[in-house]
Order: sequence, then C-alpha cells, then structure tokens
Amino acid sequence: MFFDLNVPVPNILQSSTGKAKQQNVQSGATDVTTFSAAQINALDARIDLLIHLGYTVLAFTQTIHKRLDTRFHVNVLNPLLTQLKKRPGILYLKRLNIVLDEDSEKGFGLINANVNFCNGYDLLSLTPTTQATFSLACLTHTQPSQLTTHIISLPLTLPRLNFYLKHTLIRTALRNGAVFEIDYVGSIGGEFASILHDTGYAELGPGAKRNWWASARELVRVTKSRNIIVSSGAVKDADLRAAKDVANLITLLGMTQDAAHNTLTKTPKGVTLRAQTRKTYRAVMSEPKMIIPDGSMELLRAFVAQTTMDKEAMEEDRGDQQPEELSQTVPTVPDESKKRVREDTNAETAPVAGAGQKGPGPEKVAVKGQAPGQQPVTTGPTRKKRKKNNKPLESSVGSEH
Amino acid sequence: MVRFKNRWLLVEFLPINATNGRASLGVVGGQRHPSSEHGLDGKKVYNALKQSVLLNFGDTGWGAVGLSMNVKYFSPMTNICIIRVGRDQARIAWGAVTLLTNVDGVKVVPFVVHVSGTIKHAQLAAITHNREVIARYRASLQTPTAYHAQDSYEGYLEKSTVEIEALQD
Repeated sequence: MFFDLNVPVPNILQSSTGKAKQQNVQSGATDVTTFSAAQINALDARIDLLIHLGYTVLAFTQTIHKRLDTRFHVNVLNPLLTQLKKRPGILYLKRLNIVLDEDSEKGFGLINANVNFCNGYDLLSLTPTTQATFSLACLTHTQPSQLTTHIISLPLTLPRLNFYLKHTLIRTALRNGAVFEIDYVGSIGGEFASILHDTGYAELGPGAKRNWWASARELVRVTKSRNIIVSSGAVKDADLRAAKDVANLITLLGMTQDAAHNTLTKTPKGVTLRAQTRKTYRAVMSEPKMIIPDGSMELLRAFVAQTTMDKEAMEEDRGDQQPEELSQTVPTVPDESKKRVREDTNAETAPVAGAGQKGPGPEKVAVKGQAPGQQPVTTGPTRKKRKKNNKPLESSVGSEH
Repeated sequence: MVRFKNRWLLVEFLPINATNGRASLGVVGGQRHPSSEHGLDGKKVYNALKQSVLLNFGDTGWGAVGLSMNVKYFSPMTNICIIRVGRDQARIAWGAVTLLTNVDGVKVVPFVVHVSGTIKHAQLAAITHNREVIARYRASLQTPTAYHAQDSYEGYLEKSTVEIEALQD
C-alpha cells in the first residue's frame, strides 16, 4: 500500500476569483466552481497512471496563498470527488495546503471560527517561507487541536531556504507528530502546482534540481530521516514515478533503505490516521471497552463475597472500640483572635496602612468592631467606611463562633 | 568463492503522448505499437541511460556504472527492457533510470517492474510482464476474447518468449 499525499488539482479558483465574487454577489450562490470535462479527464488519466505505478491512497491538494478566507474560498475537492470515476480499493483524500509568507505572520485563517470549514478537508498542511511562519508552523500549529496541520511542506527548489532549520523547532514538530514532506517532482525538474510557480516558491530547470537535492538532503539530516513523507506534487503525467523507484531515489539522499520505504508507506499512513483525530474530542480515537471473559463473573462474585465476609468478621473483632476513637477526634476550631489582634497592631504602627486596607477589607474591619478599645486613630474616610460596614460584619462574626 | 555479481532491472517505459501529455497505458487511437513508430531500440535506451547517469551523477557515477551497465533486451512492442548492472552500483543505475525523462526525444515514464539478482528471474518476470502489457493492450482495444488467439499479439508473445529465454548471462 503506497501513499501519494500530494496530487495537485488544477487551480480553477485563482483564475476566476473576480468573476466568482461577482456571481456570488449577484446570485448569492456559493458553489460556482466546477471543473471542466477536459480537466476531469486529465485527472482521471493521471489517477489511472498513479494506480498503475502502485499507489492506492491519493490525496488531492488544493493550494492557497497567504491566508484562508472563508468568504471567498471554496472547497473545490468536494464536487471533484463526486465527478471522478469510482475505483474500488483506492482511497481519495482531500488536502488543503496554505503557502505562508510575510503577510501570513499575523494569522492565516486557521482559527476556531473556520473549524467547520476545515473539517471538509482530511489533511491540512503548511508551506512556510519565512522564519516567523516556519516557527509558527512547527510550534503552534502542530499542537493537537481541531486545526492541527500535520504536514509541513518546505519549498525545496528555492536556491536557498531563507530560514534556518533550527533543531529545537524541528524537534518540537516531530514530537507533536508532524511530518515533513518531500515532493519528488523537484528531483526530476518537473512542474509543481501553478500557484507555487506564480508566487515564486518553486522553480524550474536544472538549477531547481540541484537546489532540490541540497535542500532535501538537509531536511533528511535535520530530521534524522524520521517523520518524512515523500509525495509526487506533480501536475504532469511525465513527472510521476513508481513508488519503489521513488524509494530508491530517496536512498540517494542518505536515507537507509527501510527509512526510505517508510516514507511512502508507514509514515503517511500514520499521518492520515492522526489527521482523523482533528475531528474527535481531544484527539481521542476510540473509547476503551472492558471485555469480561466467560465464566470469570462467577469467580469475581465468589471473590467479592469472600472479601465482604472477611471485612464483617474484622469489624466484629474490633467491636466497641470504634465509638471511643470517634469521640476523641474533636474537630478543632482555628483560634483566629490572636492573629487578628496582631494585624490590628500592625495597622496602629503604620498609619498609612489605613488607606491601603482595601485589600484585606472586611475581615480586618470586623475585628475592629469586636475590639473597639484597640482602634487606631485614623483619618476620616476610613472611619466612615468602617461605620458603613459595621453591621453586616458583626453578623458574620457571630456566625463564625 | 568470489564472483562478480549483477543486478537485473526489468524496466517498462510508458510513453507520453506528445499532444496531450498523457501517459498511454493501453493502445491509444489505434496505434498498435506505441513506440515502434518512434523507432526506439536497445541502443537508444543505452545512450539515454548513459546521458542520465552523466547528468545526474557526473563522471564519477558513469565511471562506477559504465563498465558493467548493459541493455540486454528491449521489446519495441511492449517497451520492456532488461538492464544489467553491477550489484554495488545498482542504486546509481536505478536512480538514473528513475531520473530519465526522455529516450531519444520521446518522453517516457520509466517504471522499474522487477529487480533480481539472477538473469533467470529477470527472464521469468519479463515473460510474465509481457503478457500483462499485452492483456492491457487487448483490454483497451476491447476486442472479443475469442479473437485473442488469432491476433498479432499471440505471435509476438511466442516470439518474445523465445527471445527472452535465449538471453545469456
């Protein structure tokens, strides 16, 4: 069972955003985005090829830039999955990828108000491109919640990552169960999703290939080849490769053979399962259930009967000692009068404290009411206050004793 | 006893249709021989592989692989190819196969079907896979099953089986 968790879909939303907005205003309809028959055919052909190459779980990726704005954003994958051919034994997933840049540092729409919207996707992923967004992606958004992003997909074909892959950040992300993604299309020098090229976070040509090998090696090094998934990310049929071939390609990055195999099987499977916990209460997958084997109930009953009998026997042995013990334990009432007097003396010695008595307030005043002889000479306002509070406090003192 | 050990890669090249950029798994538009019109042969595959090794692994890579790499068999009908390479360098050669994008100007998706340590199992896998590819062609042509015994593929299968079995180490 091989996984390809990045099958980009044609970006129809970006090109028709303006039109879609107008139509929304005019007709009030929300679903104005559908794929053309040619696009569906091309996608179907690509899925056929992927299946031929040995993949069984495919995640269709919708990529957006900067932020998720639910007013204009439409989940294009829901209608898409109904239009595609049904293939038994093949699992389709829906994935949302957000490309983050400087403008996303203040937030990019993964907030509680959008939980319902995000539940329309099986997987959430981030492509950080700055230091700040990278640490956000590693620290904040890998915490278990309803909006956890489980996949961090770095732009590997850029000449140089414009941030440093800090060990602490990577370690936190790995501990929280996030995975880092390598799109193998970069190694072939193929095309990524158009939005990545448009925004300048993916490159083409021989230089891109070299950058990919350097960055991917670095990523394997910093993660110690754990929690890495490899997916295609290719928009053209010619850039797809078979799963075993990709595993071999990954061993050339300095991974061991079994680790490379896991990047296409075990790790993506784990992340797919973990992504389901977004929709459960506190990331709990199932409720433990007690199963009692046959015949064990009789044993249990016999055991309970035996222990109760033993207990009764013990109580009879102790007999009349019990009441005496009880009578000895008299509840002790804390003697607070000393403390209160001391507080009062404090107030006398420091006249300024009279103004600052608001904090401890009623208790202290109550004591003063109880022992008027010790009242300090204070200024007017405190006196007034004391008088006002006198009555209810008296009663509270009474209830204490 | 120490002897020189090999790896045998059984590779299928899936040609990409130049007009719509799609990989043709079956027979598309009545083209019965997807690559025979492109005129691919073992020599061209070998040259493409050499260029791929040189491009991706440089002179050192070609120095490691070059002496032992050899295209043993290529079937223009089914685009199946058996490549021999020394065992220690097999990963480089396999990587070069994966990173191959075109053979003599024809865009292809290389697909390593089987890797074995002896020629015997490469032969067996090739014969089995040949049948699978022919079955796919027939399925895409949607000819009745009764017709399969007399179409041109049957003769090809017999001929190719003999050819593959005749391969020597």
